[in-house]
Amino acid sequence: MSNDNPDVVLRTVGLTKRYRRLLALDDLNLEVCRGQVFGFLGPNGAGKTTTIALILGLIAPTAGHVEMFGLDTRRHLSGVLRRTGAILETPSLYPHLSGRDNLRVWGALSGGVEGKRVDEALDLVGLRGRGRDKVRTYSLGMKQRLGLAAALLHDPELLVLDEPTNGLDPAGMREVREVIRGLGQIGRTVFVSSHLLSEVEQMCDHVGIVKEGRLLTQGSVATLLRQGEALEMEVTEPDRAVRVLGSLAWVNGVRRDHDRLLVEAPRERAAELSRALAEQQIYLSELRPREGSLEEFFLEVTGKEAVQ
Amino acid sequence: MISMRAWPTSNMLAAELLKVRKRWMPYALLLLMVAGAAILIWLGGYGSWVEERNDPEFGYGQESLRTFALPWSLTGLLDSGQFWGAILVGILVASAVATEHGWGTVRQALIRGRTRSQYLTAKLLSIAIAAAITLLLAFGVGVGFSVIATALADRPITLDVPGGPSVPGVALMVLRAGYGIIPYALLAFCLAVVGRSTTLGVVGILFFMFVEAIVLGILGEQSGWAADARAFFPGHNVQALLAANRIGSLGGNSLAPRDPALTDLPDPAIAALVLAAYCVGFLAIAFVIFQRRDINA
Repeated sequence: MSNDNPDVVLRTVGLTKRYRRLLALDDLNLEVCRGQVFGFLGPNGAGKTTTIALILGLIAPTAGHVEMFGLDTRRHLSGVLRRTGAILETPSLYPHLSGRDNLRVWGALSGGVEGKRVDEALDLVGLRGRGRDKVRTYSLGMKQRLGLAAALLHDPELLVLDEPTNGLDPAGMREVREVIRGLGQIGRTVFVSSHLLSEVEQMCDHVGIVKEGRLLTQGSVATLLRQGEALEMEVTEPDRAVRVLGSLAWVNGVRRDHDRLLVEAPRERAAELSRALAEQQIYLSELRPREGSLEEFFLEVTGKEAVQ
Repeated sequence: MISMRAWPTSNMLAAELLKVRKRWMPYALLLLMVAGAAILIWLGGYGSWVEERNDPEFGYGQESLRTFALPWSLTGLLDSGQFWGAILVGILVASAVATEHGWGTVRQALIRGRTRSQYLTAKLLSIAIAAAITLLLAFGVGVGFSVIATALADRPITLDVPGGPSVPGVALMVLRAGYGIIPYALLAFCLAVVGRSTTLGVVGILFFMFVEAIVLGILGEQSGWAADARAFFPGHNVQALLAANRIGSLGGNSLAPRDPALTDLPDPAIAALVLAAYCVGFLAIAFVIFQRRDINA
């Protein structure tokens, strides 16, 4: 056991992957705790799939290692993978088998599951009625849902999902999000990669942002969004107000937009802020809190990378 | 020796067998092998015999008779079964291994808590079981054809002829022919694993067999070390095994041109060892490469 915190289900330690001259992943240090729905966010090509392939032992790291359930995967890969379910990018299924037979195969490879469990998994993803049809007749969305069923089949403690809503229509995306949120609510740990900010914001309670193979930040979504919180106000003398607010230690920054000011400060200090201005004979005509969004935060940390 | 970490669980084997069973290839293999047996017994044997049986120019059809009549037909069935079986099983193996890369299912299989060696071993075993069942069925049908043709020719249905095999002897003949398939199947397996390509596996084995036949033919015309070098080729050793299946003084009846003089061939036991060395070599290459490589697709 090399993990001191028993709540950490997944940890990467200095994880690095180099393909000849391309550094795909650079010294990645991540921690995902039990019960978290962890969003792994980054633009296309940021290293998300490489990270997942490294976590699952499909590719070997150039440096660093992965710990799952407190065990080093270099020595205990088979054991930890039996407690893990995963979806990798595009759904990988046997086209000549039915959906049900695909699940039977995956169940057998996971150590064997009962037929009843196969039916439950098909039910969960809404494919019970098409279970006997060959997978080659499925749409991409149906394949993606079957892939999710395969990942959930052996009731894993940890789910590692790479872009699980790829190819789904809006209704399908919502279903998958609800399944993932539900898993979090029953204490399962989910590590989900995505480049869709709104998706991560809706599903995840924790997030890590990666760009060009480097982890830029990680933390709870609430904490990260709080960093983007601001108080928006209109005042009688904006120029003087900027100077007054700038002198307050707990104000992180003040931006001016015509007569409006955007003050980066905790919303619970709004009254103190109002009093500080009033003491200088500057009066508020409007004051309201402004929520931070993951998109703003993401754009800020990734340097305004284009994302959906 | 395969370690316990490489030996698949019964669940894994069942899953692999399900996958093979649901493919059309084993059935196509069975159909082709049965068709081959039918051609050998009915066209090459019985049909020719009907035309030649009263003709002294053709020895009253004695050679044709030995192609379809028991027990001599066993040699021909097994000889051609080994040749075509090596090609068809090679195609089956290459396809079963490489298509998993194409579908991306190899990644899904490897993230289910089984070792890579277990995965490959399960795949090999399942194909071996499917191929063995298919080839035995085809052989059984071929023997059935032979029994019917022998009866139609009003000849005794018996193994009891000079130099004829006992029932366990027939089993040994089947094992020799089956063993002759394995190195070629493992070559296709090795190429498919290394290249992640069905084409490489299939073309590789066909190319190897073609070139090997030419080289063996050329070396067979030489003397000294060049002739001795044939002992290092799998094909020459397979010939030695199949030659041990000959009944009496009969030469090979198969479509495959492999009937050299017995004195020109290695001892069957030595031949079996040489083939085993090839098998181990092909397996080692496949397992080591698969164990170490990044699985990106």
